[in-house]
Amino acid sequence: MTEAEAPDPDAAQAAIEYCYAQGWSDGLPLVPASQPLVDKFLATTTRSPDEVIGELEQVGRNCTVYLAAVNAAMAGCLPGYFPVVLAAFDALMRERAARGGGWQSTSGPAPMIVVNGPVRHELGFNTAGGAFGPGFRPNATIPRAVGLIVRNAFGVRPHVLEQATQGLPGRWSICLAENEEESPWPPFATDGGQPAGVNAVSATLLRTCEFVDNRHTPDPEQVLWDIADTISRTGSLIFRDTSAGVVLCPEHAQMLAGAGFAKPDVQAHLMEHCGRTGADLRRAGKNGLRGPARFASPDESADGEFTRILPSPRHIPIVVAGARNAAISMVVRVFGEWSGTATPVEPPPAAPGRPAAPRESPPAPPPAVPERPAAPLGVQS
Amino acid sequence: MPNAILDPTGATTIGQRKPAATRAPRPAGLQGATIGLLVNTKQNAAPFLDEIGRLLIARHGASKVVNRTKVNFAAPAPDELVKEMTAECDVIITGIGDCGSCSASAVADGIAFESAGLPAAAICSDAFRVTADAMAELRGAPGYRYATTPHPVAVLTPEQVAERAAQVLGDVVALVTEEE
Repeated sequence: MTEAEAPDPDAAQAAIEYCYAQGWSDGLPLVPASQPLVDKFLATTTRSPDEVIGELEQVGRNCTVYLAAVNAAMAGCLPGYFPVVLAAFDALMRERAARGGGWQSTSGPAPMIVVNGPVRHELGFNTAGGAFGPGFRPNATIPRAVGLIVRNAFGVRPHVLEQATQGLPGRWSICLAENEEESPWPPFATDGGQPAGVNAVSATLLRTCEFVDNRHTPDPEQVLWDIADTISRTGSLIFRDTSAGVVLCPEHAQMLAGAGFAKPDVQAHLMEHCGRTGADLRRAGKNGLRGPARFASPDESADGEFTRILPSPRHIPIVVAGARNAAISMVVRVFGEWSGTATPVEPPPAAPGRPAAPRESPPAPPPAVPERPAAPLGVQS
Repeated sequence: MPNAILDPTGATTIGQRKPAATRAPRPAGLQGATIGLLVNTKQNAAPFLDEIGRLLIARHGASKVVNRTKVNFAAPAPDELVKEMTAECDVIITGIGDCGSCSASAVADGIAFESAGLPAAAICSDAFRVTADAMAELRGAPGYRYATTPHPVAVLTPEQVAERAAQVLGDVVALVTEEE
């Protein structure tokens, strides 16, 4: 670009300040969206701009494809990201907590978006080190687009309809592109019912992420014990059962696979070993049960019993992400429970005179998983 | 002429089309009234509302209470439940709005019952006034009045719950009996 063609910074700053003044921003500068820019987003999908992609019934607001495009543009997405934004939003709208009171919740949950398939490389996602960010445009702007949709299209703004007590680091910024190349297991989207190799997005809501740094042992059972200990802390336990995902680094995943653990084996191990004794739960005031709700009970009779807290493999989603340079994994605290489904990314519409690319098959229902009889998981709001 | 900067909020949402909500006529008193208690399942909501019901019978001559529970505290009460309680009750007490979504939806429920012709008193923790007020505005009832009790509610002992219920009783009675 020559000097004569350089953009006008003063005009750009004025436009950014205009967006702040309207109350549209999440605190960071927005890209002011114009019709020509938004048209480029809308051209990446066959879906009608008027199609409603999500509704928050209790506040009487909804989001259309058009509004999603405006917010995605403002978040800094490139037009080519838009099919992933739509898939991510579709995936989130399958989460009971996201359809209900999750965005208003005192827990202030963060969406965690997981992308699988060739689209990771085609769009330039970070699939390696620093998986939780920052530094990479698609990973950073796609979850931000979701946050702006919640703020602007749903009208859920901090201190008003959004009542987060403390919120959490990483809200609107967690978009993992799974490190499929270094994962020993099938892509995460296959756990959500999509075939391997397909471009697909999975999403759930998180209450926080907690690292497990274990570069101390070659014994996979010890690593799993360490992960189970983090999952089992009482502070995150609200209801009878809980849900905790594990974002394994490639080194831990490969160690486990090398010892013969398939992903379901890891999940079975964690279901068996995550939990606390009745005495521990009583010390935390969480030993009593009224339906699925925990409360402080003076009853000491169950002090010696070990209470398991993860009812099914679906409550332990396992993703492989990050660099293969240290044995550091992350426990992610699922808010409510994951739907167990992944959403395909719509392929680019056909150029004129060319047949449309075949659309991906509709999302399959959640895979059948053995569950111990469980009362429905509550959602704290 | 430069391009316009687009509005990301949507100019025509279903919320903004909500007509102004109506307020139900108030009875002069609660003598012989059937009190509908709509419990939202939040910790201590049931004993709190039970105590309000007991006091309304003991001190204000209400004849009986009808207990109903809202399964999903985050969402407004289903139409069926509103219809059912409207048929059975004379006034509605709902709560406790003690979280981000449930305080807003408790107020939404109060407004829904008003529209159905029943005076209602929603009870919220005072930590959630802003979100409760925002919901009232969304429901076409800006300035809708509800009762508050000091935060927190969830960790109160049964004795403290009874005290709180007694403290807020006067406001509740005023809300369902006094014209604006």
